[in-house]
Amino acid sequence: MSYVTINKLSKRFGDVTVFEDIDFTIEQGEFVTLLGPSGCGKSTLLRTLAGLDKANKGEIWVDGVDITHTQPQNREIGMVFQSYALFPNMTVEDNVAFGLKMKGISKKEAQQDIQNMLDLVELDGKEKFYPHELSGGQRQRVALARALIVKPRILLLDEPLSALDAKIRKNLRQQILDIQKELNLTTIFVTHDQEEAMLMSDRIFLMNQGEIIQQGNPEDIYTKPANEFVAGFMGHYNLIAAETAKHWFDIETTSKVAIRPESIYIKESGRQYADHISSPKSATVVSHQLLGNVIRYNLKVENEELTVDLLNRSSERLMPKGSAIELLFNLNEIQPVGV
Amino acid sequence: MENNKLFLHKGIVYGISTLLLIPILATFIYSLSSSWGATILPDGFSLKWYGALLTDPRFIDAFGRSLFICIASLLLATVLVLPMIFVVFYYYPKLDKVMNLLILLPFAVPPVVSSVGLLQLYADSTFQLIGTPWILVGTYFTIALPFMYRAIANSFTAINLKDLIDAAHLLGASTTKAFLLIILPNLKKGLLASLFLSFSFLLGEFVFANILVGTRYETLQIYLYNMRQTSGHFTSALVMTYFAFIFLCTWLASRLTRGNNL
Repeated sequence: MSYVTINKLSKRFGDVTVFEDIDFTIEQGEFVTLLGPSGCGKSTLLRTLAGLDKANKGEIWVDGVDITHTQPQNREIGMVFQSYALFPNMTVEDNVAFGLKMKGISKKEAQQDIQNMLDLVELDGKEKFYPHELSGGQRQRVALARALIVKPRILLLDEPLSALDAKIRKNLRQQILDIQKELNLTTIFVTHDQEEAMLMSDRIFLMNQGEIIQQGNPEDIYTKPANEFVAGFMGHYNLIAAETAKHWFDIETTSKVAIRPESIYIKESGRQYADHISSPKSATVVSHQLLGNVIRYNLKVENEELTVDLLNRSSERLMPKGSAIELLFNLNEIQPVGV
Repeated sequence: MENNKLFLHKGIVYGISTLLLIPILATFIYSLSSSWGATILPDGFSLKWYGALLTDPRFIDAFGRSLFICIASLLLATVLVLPMIFVVFYYYPKLDKVMNLLILLPFAVPPVVSSVGLLQLYADSTFQLIGTPWILVGTYFTIALPFMYRAIANSFTAINLKDLIDAAHLLGASTTKAFLLIILPNLKKGLLASLFLSFSFLLGEFVFANILVGTRYETLQIYLYNMRQTSGHFTSALVMTYFAFIFLCTWLASRLTRGNNL
């Protein structure tokens, strides 16, 4: 049996169904991400697991025990919030010690544990600081230490990085991953950022409108989108109508096909292409955006608009608006997608 | 040009300040002068009026009664309002709008009207409430309510109540413990500010005290009113003492609320 098992879990607020009949399992030590656009129910699902919102139906099993109706106080689940939710009237040390204090362990007895935990999140020396004296990244690390010190069975992370700026976010992301691996902690992470989800997760549950649309490891989700929504959410997939696809690629399909911007190439003269590359199609450059290491071209092929990403190798190669070019498609990467 | 403007601005500020200070200053000088009749300047200065006031047992009693009523009302307000606001903000956030309307009621009804209403309501009640300090405690509670509710509600909006309580729950704290250990310490500032504000306001309350209780339980303001026929110097000294006390309270309030930077 899996470490965490969710069975037909449903949640309504009044007449509004947030999610219905959610099923999934998580193994011990796994890092799982609930990914989806805002309002898809991922945060509510997380809060329901924590017991902060009551499920209307279904079961939650952790380590062979049904905790569906257990109070959050007794679930042994740790959580880190987007808003940090540090206790403003307490020092870093007292914040971290809070969970132990509730278990009847005094700060004195736990001195070594607290110190170890602060070392783990690299906050030693900040014991006597108040939350308002710390930066966002430091605050979130205090929150992490506070959740971890009581040795939770599951760690829930509710968009913990969303309020931080890019560089701190990158560091903290790595730090969370390192700690998670070191403690072999079963972790459920909620985010709307597909890049973050891809980088961190062992497995991704992609959610939309209260349903898990697709689950799998990051590579599968990215390269084999189950439907149009996933294709749109995970990358800048080009969606090509079934009729056009039949005509262009000579394939049999009744649904739209998706192809990633990086799987379309611009033909270079004098170069030999493998068999899985399509015959050239003429296109015109409509516009381009410089994304740094990548240039994103918006192209027009017959009546279809396509997005193509090319590595920004040198500025001479930049093709201005209106250029006529020839496109090649990687036929192995063409995915039929459901609606 | 710039200098002229600055001069003008300063002139306005100082002018208004002086204008506001003149009556207080005049009262102060009057309370210090031995007699001040037909002359421009007082005949002489003395502290005898203060002496007379501070040795008058009636004054000390009235002061004590006023303090008792104010503190009792504010205690009642704190004990009732704090948990109530917590319930409103944590369980029924939508009620905040209703509460905002409700707390305006004591302002919407003039004291003269509501005191007559209270008289009618409680005149025939089986226990004697009219004429006792208890009816004032109840009434003052309603007057303090708007100040208390607004200030404490502001403190509540300043903290992330839901997440803090959720975090505390997940760390093993009950709702009561979370309220006492986490929420209450963060409300200290708002609570103190509102208490001092209401205190100064209630200490100066006259209409309710006069109509509902009158001389049967002489508070500071009633005493002041009853003393209006005696020497003006004496009442001036009384007003100045009261003023100094309020000033001290205000100063303490600002000290206390500024001191802890939570």
